[in-house]
Amino acid sequence: MPSRDPGRTVARVPLTDTPAVQARDLRRTFRSRSGIWRQTRSEVEAVKGVSFEIAPGELFGLLGPNGAGKTTTIKMLITLLIPTSGSASVLGRDVVTDVREVRSRIGYVFGGDRGLYERLTGLDNLRYFSELYGVPPREQRARIGSLLELVGLTGREGEKVEGYSRGMRQRLHIARGLLHDPDVFFLDEPSIGIDPVGARELRATIAGLRDQGKTVLLTTHYMFEADELCDRIAVIRSGEIVAEGTPDELKELVSAGRVLEVETYGVHDHVLDRLRVVPGVRSVVVEERGQLQVLVVASEPGAEVTQPVLGGLDETRVGRVSHRDPTLEDAYVELVTRTGA
Amino acid sequence: MVSLRIFFIGGLMSYRAMFGWMNPWIFVPALLVSPICQILLFAFIGRSAGVGDDEFYVIGNALNYAAIPCLFAMASTIAGERFSQTLGLVIATPARRVPLFLGRALPVIANGWGVAMFGVVVGSLLLDTDIPTSAWPLIALVVAVGSLSSTGLGLVMGAINLVYREGATLGNVLFLVLLIFTGTNVALDDLPGWMAAVGRCLPLTHAIEATRMLGDGATWGAVRGLVATELLIGLAYVVVGLSSIRVLERLSRSGATLDRI
Repeated sequence: MPSRDPGRTVARVPLTDTPAVQARDLRRTFRSRSGIWRQTRSEVEAVKGVSFEIAPGELFGLLGPNGAGKTTTIKMLITLLIPTSGSASVLGRDVVTDVREVRSRIGYVFGGDRGLYERLTGLDNLRYFSELYGVPPREQRARIGSLLELVGLTGREGEKVEGYSRGMRQRLHIARGLLHDPDVFFLDEPSIGIDPVGARELRATIAGLRDQGKTVLLTTHYMFEADELCDRIAVIRSGEIVAEGTPDELKELVSAGRVLEVETYGVHDHVLDRLRVVPGVRSVVVEERGQLQVLVVASEPGAEVTQPVLGGLDETRVGRVSHRDPTLEDAYVELVTRTGA
Repeated sequence: MVSLRIFFIGGLMSYRAMFGWMNPWIFVPALLVSPICQILLFAFIGRSAGVGDDEFYVIGNALNYAAIPCLFAMASTIAGERFSQTLGLVIATPARRVPLFLGRALPVIANGWGVAMFGVVVGSLLLDTDIPTSAWPLIALVVAVGSLSSTGLGLVMGAINLVYREGATLGNVLFLVLLIFTGTNVALDDLPGWMAAVGRCLPLTHAIEATRMLGDGATWGAVRGLVATELLIGLAYVVVGLSSIRVLERLSRSGATLDRI
């Protein structure tokens, strides 16, 4: 029987002699002050002792809800933030002391509209960062041309970025991050806000990076994206890694049981509380789908919870009832919604 | 070679990226009409009060106005990047900081020089001052040195922007400080001693004095000491600015200030 301890590491990290990325008990606390006469100080521990390793050529996913510490972890790894304690290295170089060496070997892309020079053309954005990364002038034209081809922006490079769609901006970001042919690539929610066609093209681009032997750290909210792309995944919650393993290994956290889905109309919180203590029920999550609330009930292996759950819904209007095998999303939701670490 | 390219090409592209919005409809009123208005204001105040002559106010205010592009444009090269969230990406590159930030200063110095020279030339034409033709090449040189030293102060402001997002507001205060303390409209000899002492440590003070002397027919030999002092003050501010960038960049990494916009 698989353990239900959320802190369990499902598969030990494949330790290599020289991991591409290594984080050891990484912590980051943010301190802030407010007020002028009566100053109040506050502290938020965004990352609480994160440790993991990424092997060369591996595509590693870091999944977690908003505010879980994903971006803070990435910013420490790319040298933009100094850890409060702990250590991290990229290709054997310390991210605090060997800053220039780390910066010259990594690429960094984040999601969203910002981070580009709006009034320059896409081509000039790439030319500027080519200079900053020291790409030799003779290679610049060919490198930029092939990257524009890779991200599907050939023919649009002469237009100012302010006229680009979000998907085009995101692809330009990827091209920018690859200008200096980095060995390790950090992608922080790159597909956020992109339409399905654009997101599919982006996934193909990311898969292409892995095929080229690049090491990639990807954060995303989209489980199918992580499932499709990642060799291994770590789930981070409230600044701590609560599970780590391959997508299949993570699914096994809940796959020994089954998932019951019940369509309801106007289910109340007290009913949910009642269902959560039904013997054999691991978790109950509500998904809002228009006027429907779909109860996603994960059960213990071998437990028959359908009748007790439906019995607990006697005051609620119930629609379709179905069973299915767990997905990575089920595992993720269960991991990040469990109380207590 | 890489640093040279970052200095020249990177600096120019960065300037285009930050000030691509500066079309003639903004540039002309903000950087050409405004200094002329300032020159006329103080020249006519001087006339009505019966103090100073027009040339005194033309040169003082034209050079003083170079501080607008030099302070604000230099500070904006960091503050603007912060707002567009490109600053983190630039900081995360291995580019050496000296050519990266000094390269941004070069177009700013040219901008400041152009604004100040426009003020001196147009102000002189409007108020019919009597600056000898032979003095103009040296005036152009001294104005360039004054623009450089103002840009040095702008670099310090830019460094402050790495940590404090409200750093740009400091520019308004500094512009007024320069207006009062550099002898723009009141000669240093007529200011209280402590104000004159402060003025002697600020950019533009010696450039304004040297330009006035050239306008009165002085030779290069008479002003070269003032020009050298202006240059030294400017270089001192550049050194302070670059050192501040190094320190404040580290502070921004420990204090997580880069993402605050």
